Amino acid sequence: MPGTLSKKLALTKERLYSLVGLAIILALVPVFLGFNFYYVLLAADVMLAASLVAAWNIIGGYAGQLDLAASAYMALGAVVTGHLLANFGLTPWIGMFIGAGSAVAVAALVGYPTFRFGIKEVWYALLTSALVVIMMRIYYLIYGSFETYIPHMEPEWLYLTFRRYEVYYYMLAAMLVIIIWVNLKIKDSKLGYYLAAIREDELAAEALGIDVRRYKLYALMIYALLAGLVGGIYITLTGILSFRLFDPWLGIVVAVMGIVGGLGSISGAVLSAVILRSIEEYLRGTIGATYPGSHLLVYGLIIILVGVLKPEGLASFIDYFKKKITRRGEEVG
Amino acid sequence: MSLLTEAQTKTTAIIIVSVVIIAIIAGVAVYYASQKPAQTVTVTQTQTVTKTASPTTTTTSPTKTVTPPKIKEIKIGLIEPLTGAHAVFGQEAKEAAELIINVINNELGGIKNLGGAKLKLVVADAGETPEQAKLAAEKLVAQEHPPIIIGAYISRMTAAVAEVTEREKIILVMDGLVDSLTEQGWKYVFRVAPKASAHGKSAVDFVLDMAKKKNLTIKKAAVIHEDSIFGTYVAQGAEKELAKYGIDYIVEAYPYDISDVTPIVSKLMDYNPDIVISVPYFHDAVLLAKTIKEMGFHPMFIAGAGGCGYTDPDSIKAAGEAVEWYTNTYSYNPARPTEWNKKIVKMFEDKYGKLPTEAAGIIFYSLMTVKEALEKAAVLHPEDPLNPDNLRDAFLSLDLTDNNSIAAQLYPTGHIKFAPNGDNIYAGTAVIQVINGKPHVVWPDPEPGIQPVFPRPDWPGAKG
Amino acid sequence: MQVISVDPSLLVQNLVNGVFTGLLYSLVALGLALIFGVMDIINFAHGDFVMVGAYLTYVIATTFMIEPSLTAFITMPIFFLLGIVIYKLIIEEVLGAEPLIQIAVTVGLLMVLRNLALMIFHAEPRGVPFTIFTQPIVIGPITIASSRLAAGIVSLVALWLIHVLLTKTKWGIAVRATADDREVAELMGINVKRVYAVTFGLGTALTALAAALIMTFSRADPYLGLLYGLLSWVIVAMGGLGGVIGVLFSGLIIGVIEALGITFVGAGARELFIYLTFFFVLWFRPRGLFGRR
Repeated sequence: MPGTLSKKLALTKERLYSLVGLAIILALVPVFLGFNFYYVLLAADVMLAASLVAAWNIIGGYAGQLDLAASAYMALGAVVTGHLLANFGLTPWIGMFIGAGSAVAVAALVGYPTFRFGIKEVWYALLTSALVVIMMRIYYLIYGSFETYIPHMEPEWLYLTFRRYEVYYYMLAAMLVIIIWVNLKIKDSKLGYYLAAIREDELAAEALGIDVRRYKLYALMIYALLAGLVGGIYITLTGILSFRLFDPWLGIVVAVMGIVGGLGSISGAVLSAVILRSIEEYLRGTIGATYPGSHLLVYGLIIILVGVLKPEGLASFIDYFKKKITRRGEEVG
Repeated sequence: MSLLTEAQTKTTAIIIVSVVIIAIIAGVAVYYASQKPAQTVTVTQTQTVTKTASPTTTTTSPTKTVTPPKIKEIKIGLIEPLTGAHAVFGQEAKEAAELIINVINNELGGIKNLGGAKLKLVVADAGETPEQAKLAAEKLVAQEHPPIIIGAYISRMTAAVAEVTEREKIILVMDGLVDSLTEQGWKYVFRVAPKASAHGKSAVDFVLDMAKKKNLTIKKAAVIHEDSIFGTYVAQGAEKELAKYGIDYIVEAYPYDISDVTPIVSKLMDYNPDIVISVPYFHDAVLLAKTIKEMGFHPMFIAGAGGCGYTDPDSIKAAGEAVEWYTNTYSYNPARPTEWNKKIVKMFEDKYGKLPTEAAGIIFYSLMTVKEALEKAAVLHPEDPLNPDNLRDAFLSLDLTDNNSIAAQLYPTGHIKFAPNGDNIYAGTAVIQVINGKPHVVWPDPEPGIQPVFPRPDWPGAKG
Repeated sequence: MQVISVDPSLLVQNLVNGVFTGLLYSLVALGLALIFGVMDIINFAHGDFVMVGAYLTYVIATTFMIEPSLTAFITMPIFFLLGIVIYKLIIEEVLGAEPLIQIAVTVGLLMVLRNLALMIFHAEPRGVPFTIFTQPIVIGPITIASSRLAAGIVSLVALWLIHVLLTKTKWGIAVRATADDREVAELMGINVKRVYAVTFGLGTALTALAAALIMTFSRADPYLGLLYGLLSWVIVAMGGLGGVIGVLFSGLIIGVIEALGITFVGAGARELFIYLTFFFVLWFRPRGLFGRR
């Protein structure tokens, strides 16, 4: 059918343009921020949150699995990259992939039996949250509570030990664009259709002959890979290795950001990460110093309000504006 | 259809990848382009900080100014955890810093050698994580660019701040106590406070000294510590000292937020040591003291190490009788009978209605040391006293004692002199004991009228 | 680190310690099991209710100089009402919503509670400096702290009472009918909304009881919820919906595993053992050790 075909083409084109637009905007952000270290670091932090949430969208949004272990995969990528750099002087350009590879390995190791035994919903959420704690304690058994600081190494480009943050910002921004692209690719692929079917009704999907376990595992492994890569970049930014990188709370926050963004909507997920992370930092700087904890209190209230009033999340707002824009376009045309 | 979509995705892929490459290239270009202007920005900021008399700041003039710049105000940065789990320390440190800055500016007339220049405290919240601390440091540096920063209590946060201050060549006076902070080869860091392992060593030295005085022998000891990096270093200091004196010991680590310590106390009772060296945080200190009391465990002595826990006013309030006779090593001695120490403690009590704990005490003497260093820098390098290398030089040439400085009067050992790595050579701690529900300094110089209680009166051997 | 050779009396001692800790864990998890079992609400804020309860116990005990364990008589009714208010304000809105939404909303609630505590009480731990439980009970080589013994006994009694309430009373039958099938229960004339509200109130009130018992030997701090939140879920997962008995035995198993972990390896490995057990239970007995629908 030529009609649908051209529509599809148009859609991908639209996506393409928005992605290019996003890349350009992201590239220009530090310019607008005047290369102020503080704002660039803050922007990098926002990119980090956005990348993790975008990666989470694959398992949480598309496959509908409540994964709370984003921080486990991220931290594993980070500690592998970091220790390879600090102890063996291996460049993070390679270490990052080894780190992400180990994250994928753990994801497969844990994911296979978990999906095989049909663990889902809240039990899956708890299992993944427990995974973060288990990995934290394993790291603790090996390294204790000692912190490893990655020293400054030359040449900077090889060891990624810059004394400025623009590079980290650009790496995370590029990572974000790549993750969004992976998201879109998956959405349009066979895997994406299967995942959507699984998310809607797992039993029905199984009845249709979809290998539910396999596709869930694929989604998990892709997510772990991306989170691991993000962790590898992240550790070159902070340079401090400790068992506290395995933070169960971060895993929950990533999922919450994804949920607030609207499940399965990549633009919603990214937008929610950017907005929530910025709000948190802003509140921390303003009211947080006078009333300890007040910024997180407000943050909590926002989450409750979104959850209660707009369970579809930010994605519904985006859809609303999109419709408005397209309608206006139709009127003009 | 499938063919077309495949082609479509392929072009998508190519274009996206190129976009990413463009983004990276743009970033690199912008990065290199920005390197030079960014540096001038920092220069102008230093200039505005020092407030040169001439209103037009001549940033690029390479000639050395012969006349010393007139400095009216010097910014002192303070990066402390004001929010989150460690806010207890940060808030008190901030209170202490405000007090001391006030004393320096109003009672001592500012930095005398710099024409009475006033100090201005600029504060940033280090939050709970290294990234937040780093953000705080960057923010403070970008907005204020103080020549000296004090922070950040928690070791990993201090390390994050140090990365920024090293790059910017800002002096960092650390109130984080973990040993490794002065072992990283950092050039612009100083630490007046005694490091973690010194706390563990002091606790053991105190117990051994008391046992010697009372003619008791110690054969077996147990070291229990919360498993953070700080607790671990303190415990290692204690272990080393125990090993030195040939005392057998066991070590038990636990996470400070443990829900119940009964199994650990049972383990201790089974080993039955003469003394227990305990390195707690706050939460576990309450739990441990109550459990030890309730389980009826009566060793010869239980000595705390590492500053927080048993002897804080809040812990005594929370644990009640259970912490009676517990000791703790302190980086600060609130009862040290020197003129200025009495005065500052009194001022702190009047202003905030509580005794200063360690978090405040470290700030007291660290800030006063900063003042001494500024005075010294003005003498040694009148042409540019706030230059980081000149400041470093001033810090290293300090030799403060009770007779020549307020800073030393506030310090437990009364002597401050820096080693090249930035640690105080004469670092030491005081030992505080809870006697009749009140914390009292008992060692090395006990408060007037106070005698350390040793061994514990409920120790079965104490009766004989 | 030196390894202590484990002496049999220490092993027995720590097994006993583990049993009492486990009983208390069962009580903490009981409220969650009730709420989840009946209402299918995924409450991630459960541990933080314990935290709020601990603070309430502290405030009441220190202001009126009451033995902390006895404050439960005051805090439980307050918590019952608090539970109903929270149910009406928040939980009712997400009944039957996607699990993800429930998690997000209760995580929001947890953040509000935790940071409210931080704002009011700051991060210093608060404790009640007096209690009637000060002497150990010594039976041969075994020493039992009286507060743990009391906590264990009270937990056991509370578990038994809830068991009776659910199995022997009319209200309990209504609750179980609602848990089995909401629509059928509605057709039978059961006021489902009210059953839900009361269940949530009861589940919350139970955390106040647990908190009062915890405060006889421990402390309140804003992050206490972290300790009991995930742990309660582990117990519920292991107990399945096997009712009170399932919760009781899972709590005991966790308590004993914890004590053994501390005895043989060290306290740092405690969480590792608990959560590894959880993993294997979920994998190999996905319906819990004691059956789940």
